[in-house]
Amino acid sequence: MSKTEGQEVVLIAVLVVLWLALGFGTDTFFAASNLQNILATVAPVTIIGIGMTAVIVTGGIDVSVGSALAVVLVVVAKMVRDSGLTLVPAVIAGLVTGGVLGALNGALVAYGRVHAIIITFGTLNIFRFVALQIFDGKEVAGVPGTLEFLGGGTEGRSFGIPHSWLLAVLLAAGMWFYMRHAPTGRHLYAIGGNAPAAWLAGIRVNRRLVGVYAVTGILVGLAACCVIGGGGLVAQSAGTGLELQVIAAVVIGGTSILGGRGSVLGTVLGALLVGTVTSAVTLLGWHSELTALFIGVFILLAVGADLGRVSRPPSAIAGPDAVPDATAETPKDNQYSRHSGGDARNRPDPDSHRTGTPRHGQMRERRRRRE
Amino acid sequence: MKRLVTDRVLLLVALLVVLVVWMSVLGSNGYLVAPYDVDYLLSSLESVVPLCLLGVAELLVIVSGRGGIDLSVGAMVSLVGMAFGFMVGVWHWPVWAAIVGALLAGAVLGAVNGFLVAWLGVPALIATLATYYAFSSLALVSNDNAPISTQPVQDLHSLTSTVGQVPSQVFTFLLPCAALAWLLANRTNYGRRLYAVGTNEAAARFAGLHVVGIRFRAYVLSGMLSAVVAVITVAQFASARPDAGTVGNGMALPAITIAILGGTAITGGIGRIGGVVVASLFVVWLNAGILLAFEDSRGSQYQLLALGVVLVFSALLNRLTLRTDHSLK
Repeated sequence: MSKTEGQEVVLIAVLVVLWLALGFGTDTFFAASNLQNILATVAPVTIIGIGMTAVIVTGGIDVSVGSALAVVLVVVAKMVRDSGLTLVPAVIAGLVTGGVLGALNGALVAYGRVHAIIITFGTLNIFRFVALQIFDGKEVAGVPGTLEFLGGGTEGRSFGIPHSWLLAVLLAAGMWFYMRHAPTGRHLYAIGGNAPAAWLAGIRVNRRLVGVYAVTGILVGLAACCVIGGGGLVAQSAGTGLELQVIAAVVIGGTSILGGRGSVLGTVLGALLVGTVTSAVTLLGWHSELTALFIGVFILLAVGADLGRVSRPPSAIAGPDAVPDATAETPKDNQYSRHSGGDARNRPDPDSHRTGTPRHGQMRERRRRRE
Repeated sequence: MKRLVTDRVLLLVALLVVLVVWMSVLGSNGYLVAPYDVDYLLSSLESVVPLCLLGVAELLVIVSGRGGIDLSVGAMVSLVGMAFGFMVGVWHWPVWAAIVGALLAGAVLGAVNGFLVAWLGVPALIATLATYYAFSSLALVSNDNAPISTQPVQDLHSLTSTVGQVPSQVFTFLLPCAALAWLLANRTNYGRRLYAVGTNEAAARFAGLHVVGIRFRAYVLSGMLSAVVAVITVAQFASARPDAGTVGNGMALPAITIAILGGTAITGGIGRIGGVVVASLFVVWLNAGILLAFEDSRGSQYQLLALGVVLVFSALLNRLTLRTDHSLK
């Protein structure tokens, strides 16, 4: 854990330096409206990033979140507009819709035993299709302000802080506690570290996997409610490219894309950094297109800092011409051969995962008693 | 029959035949809004060209192993396309010199990816995500978010005239590139080494291969193939657009889809050029058929569904065939 906390300290330092520089460099950065705007914009990415962190910690990835967001957006927006749903039922509808989509991803990843990036590339297209079908050729305009409580407007703030951001921080704290202290949360790290070993140790790998993808879906549903609350019409292209923003926030936060390492707090800071950079480019009057360039540079810096910090284990693979850097990650040599992905021949017989020999039953029993 | 399930290229060819026959029958019975005939199939080859070339680019980097993937191909198409637009349209270079320049630019961008992934050991997904952002941003900034469509650029459109019904870029760009890629993968030392590195990096290193250099070159090749696509795209639209490769879902996602559908194993070391070529033909002709099945624009929505379903099923099928092999051993 100390390694990821290192990243968080660095991120906080970078954020403080950036904020100070912007505070002195511009008149408006510390204006309440600007800060509120940043927080409200960053909240949906942060909320989805909480789930994405858990997914990436298990060694997976979910690139379908943008399309899933579009589905929830159009479903909830149409329900609110056409059936006059009130706040709570609307949010529940969003959570359920997102949860169903996420569980579908999870089931395919866990039981299909195909690497998550392929499955979610597929569902990215399928979800976008579903969304476009429900859009039925028109954007959704004239959505009533039922969800404004979650948006960043005057209705959606308490003590000047957007509710969506408070929610994001609360959820992040909860997820941080869960992943760090709850047994099933620790299992996520175990799965990302070594899925077959985790399974042999009695962790129900498939159940955890379906769980993290479903939770990500539910969080996508919540983020969609915040987006609708922000007002404006719901366009058919909504959510395009969102997955890359979320992954960028997670990676800048120090979570290893190879799985087994990372924390939600880093993700929150990463999302804040992305939001700050976006706002800074606008305030300084630079080309808004430069934002992406800075995000790219920050991703590389974050990964570079991470690679520099990871101690290099002595490795049998290091041959005569090995470049020092190339051996840095040899134990995690092939990110795609982990848990459900990869090569069946290198792993225990997949079918025995489900039947569970008596020995494993005993191990599970013993573990349960310990807990 | 067994080979049909285990051999991805054969399976795709069979699917392709079924698709074309089925669509033609539908067409001749009047279920489609326009005939699904040879002319239509040939003219739709236009969209095969970029898809197939980028699919080959993805194949090379995925085969190179260690989670190889290139999310930045679309951004490289945009950026090299803008560079090509400047060379032809603003600096008035002769076209051949500009094409060479574009290839060099693509190689440089690919080398950035290769340096990050192979030399520094940054996971490919992250490195190319970062360069995706960086390249697409530079492409947009390069000409103030405006396309370049001066007269010399518009004249490039002649590069994409048709020969008979076939778009000429099939002969001038696609076939030579596909043939070269096939030769490179199957008939050269480099190809053998690339597959060796992807299959088992440790063994490759002990066999005396320069793993880092071999993987690096796979990313450079991916950049150069993106440059070829950039040239074609600029010629096709008669304009160098700063968002050519990144608009909407971009070009990278379909290219990765094609590579995986073509039987490339995401774990590295497995994948055939022929599979990618047939897969891109299959997807384009499937899309072309779907487009004819609907009178309004809903066809393009069903294309998304078809792509997603085909990808998920082909991946699940990959598992099935691997498991079958396993039980036979």
